[in-house]
Amino acid sequence: MDFSLTEEQVMLKDSVAKFLADNYAPEQREAIVKNEAGYSPEHWATFSELGWLTIPFSEADGGFGGNVADVSAVMEEFGKVLVVEPYWSSIVLAGQLIARSTNNDLKSREMPTVISGEAQYSFAWLEAQSSFSLSHVSTKATKQGDSYHLSGEKKLVLNAKASHFIVAARSSGDVNSQSGISLFVVDVTNPALKIETVRLMDGQHACNIQFSNLVVGHADMLTQEGEAYPLIAEVVDEALVALCAEAVGAMTYLYKATADYANTRKQFGVTIGSFQALQHRMVDMFMATEQCRSLLVRAQCAILDGSEERSQDVAVLKAMVGKYGRKIAEEAVQLHGGMGVTNEMPIGHYLKRLMMIDMYFGGSDIHRRRFSDMRYL
Amino acid sequence: MHAKFSPEELAFQEDVRGFMRDNFTPELAARIHHPKTFRDASIEWQKLLDGKGWAANGWPVEHGGTGWSATQKYIYTTELAAAGAPDVVPMGIKMVAPVLYSYGSEEQKARFLPITKSSDIWWCQGYSEPGAGSDLAALQTRAVRDGDDYIIDGTKIWTTFAQYADWIFCLVRTDNTGKPQQGISFLLIDMKTPGITVSPIISVDDEHHLNEVNFENVRVPVANRIGEENEGWTYAKALLTYERTALSGVGYCKRKLTNIRQLANQISASGTRLIDDCDFRARLADVEMEVMALEFLELRVLSAIDSGGAPGMESSLLKLKGTEMQQAVQSLQWDVAAGFGGISPAADDELWESEGNRARREYMFGRACTIFGGSNEVQRNIIAKFALGLQAR
Repeated sequence: MDFSLTEEQVMLKDSVAKFLADNYAPEQREAIVKNEAGYSPEHWATFSELGWLTIPFSEADGGFGGNVADVSAVMEEFGKVLVVEPYWSSIVLAGQLIARSTNNDLKSREMPTVISGEAQYSFAWLEAQSSFSLSHVSTKATKQGDSYHLSGEKKLVLNAKASHFIVAARSSGDVNSQSGISLFVVDVTNPALKIETVRLMDGQHACNIQFSNLVVGHADMLTQEGEAYPLIAEVVDEALVALCAEAVGAMTYLYKATADYANTRKQFGVTIGSFQALQHRMVDMFMATEQCRSLLVRAQCAILDGSEERSQDVAVLKAMVGKYGRKIAEEAVQLHGGMGVTNEMPIGHYLKRLMMIDMYFGGSDIHRRRFSDMRYL
Repeated sequence: MHAKFSPEELAFQEDVRGFMRDNFTPELAARIHHPKTFRDASIEWQKLLDGKGWAANGWPVEHGGTGWSATQKYIYTTELAAAGAPDVVPMGIKMVAPVLYSYGSEEQKARFLPITKSSDIWWCQGYSEPGAGSDLAALQTRAVRDGDDYIIDGTKIWTTFAQYADWIFCLVRTDNTGKPQQGISFLLIDMKTPGITVSPIISVDDEHHLNEVNFENVRVPVANRIGEENEGWTYAKALLTYERTALSGVGYCKRKLTNIRQLANQISASGTRLIDDCDFRARLADVEMEVMALEFLELRVLSAIDSGGAPGMESSLLKLKGTEMQQAVQSLQWDVAAGFGGISPAADDELWESEGNRARREYMFGRACTIFGGSNEVQRNIIAKFALGLQAR
């Protein structure tokens, strides 16, 4: 049992924190979000120069050889200042689908640009009717000779400026079956794609995509036909831990910022932080953050130890982070009073981000049910 | 970052499991859970643990402790709870002993530590008073110096198991002039001393755990004082920190949840299972998820202590969340056993060992856990001050 960060992780965390302290103050972030891409391409290039994009990839693939704890250390720092660059969607989520692909030709073709950050991949999986179930795929992949024809639509695909989508499509099995799902790399310039950009409330630019008879080759398929589900489940579990690390960073910012504000804001001639009714609410924010941080440690250990309960631990983490992330942010807004409901104050932006983190890959209730279904047989 | 046990730790786990299997027999379990046999069975259990060298596992090695790592402590506590075995009665081993070995004289250590470890002395705690609960420093029990003795007058209340106790460790007022925290001294008092009366207080579980202890002209040798006169508050504060760390009750919660799952899995007369009821399932999952988090919160605190930190504000965190979870688990247990829960059998009744009675007793006495050891509201004040830097008015 060892929960401490390695020396390397501490150094990594410090260097991320230092860059963000210089480049990600609230007014700097406001300018970043207004970029056409919804993030700063310059920062993305810097992330690449600093080697952050290589962290989760193996040394054999040209990466740093980091694990879920290394990625989480970075994501937690990102969460403290609400970084909007597509690190999670491109590197942690889609990048890992590529890195763990069983199609070695595809892997060696795509990996160099993934790791360098020249290409940005995004995982297109969610469908209007899928209720956040990973195995619910109605998008069709019809085999015709050596190629596949894809037809369907995908919702809320992150990073509207991605260069490639990884599309989940079904060639066999019923709509909820875990078998029969394949993943295909699709270039965003493919003329069969109809892309509608949407701005999400956390500042992210996402897109809804539609396609019919979009032709991809065997060479663009990440696994053997119909066998992608285990890859998806494994990568999503780890990516959710990293996403929750970001949330824990945001929650940590919120309880501290709220206590700082309460220690300076005066009403009735005293700081409002001296009121016990408010103190106890802030303690509950702190406590909820510590509970979520404990589950983050638990889920990281489960993944690194190869525990059979890893999916349970991830589901619990996502459920609790979803619930308490929103709760803490709501409390932070309330305790900041009128200022809390302004867009000028950073607090509301954390609320928006934590609302979205709860929603991605299914909200608190969905993950509680996922946990219950695994736990109560 | 890993939560795996080493081969040595796994061997230790096997050792603990084997010991529990061989020593915490169903017969001993029944006696320890029964009020009429609780005292003798508790002493017997502690002696068994002491024979293995585990009774005072948290003490420094030179006084008979084990020198266990945080991981070993965790394994021990978890296996103890999994076997349904209670930890030692805390007042001696966990509460007064740390004060004795930290602040006591050599004579006091030699006299009290060995018999505390072997359970040949039963301690109770004389802190709270009718006028001093959460505001402990307001205590008024007077100790007036008379030659080599103090004369004690006053009342202590909520004294758990005073009816069994041989000795009481007490906070008494030796000076009234300064701040309330100054002028408090820490005394060890023989319960057989003339002038001490113990009166039972029956709690909402219909049982007798609590007492009022009255002191009238009770003569106590000055030699029974721990440390300096008027410095008792410092010693008591340290003790409260140890007390709170012992209070998270994760093992208890996990054992109860296992039991609740088993009960909820049973098929009722109507052919349904409670575990399939989506409302119940969601409630159970909510509590389980919190306990899973609490388990790792405790592990994080333990491993921080292992690498040199002293238990401080974190112990308040564990006490606060741990007791909230104990009550949440007790509520669920009550709901699962609700069909039989309302029965309040006499201690010699057959129904004493029923699920319903257990649910009733634990729920009712469990109301106290968010109050004792410093109420949860006081814990929130402590966390507000030390973790969040918020100043009281």
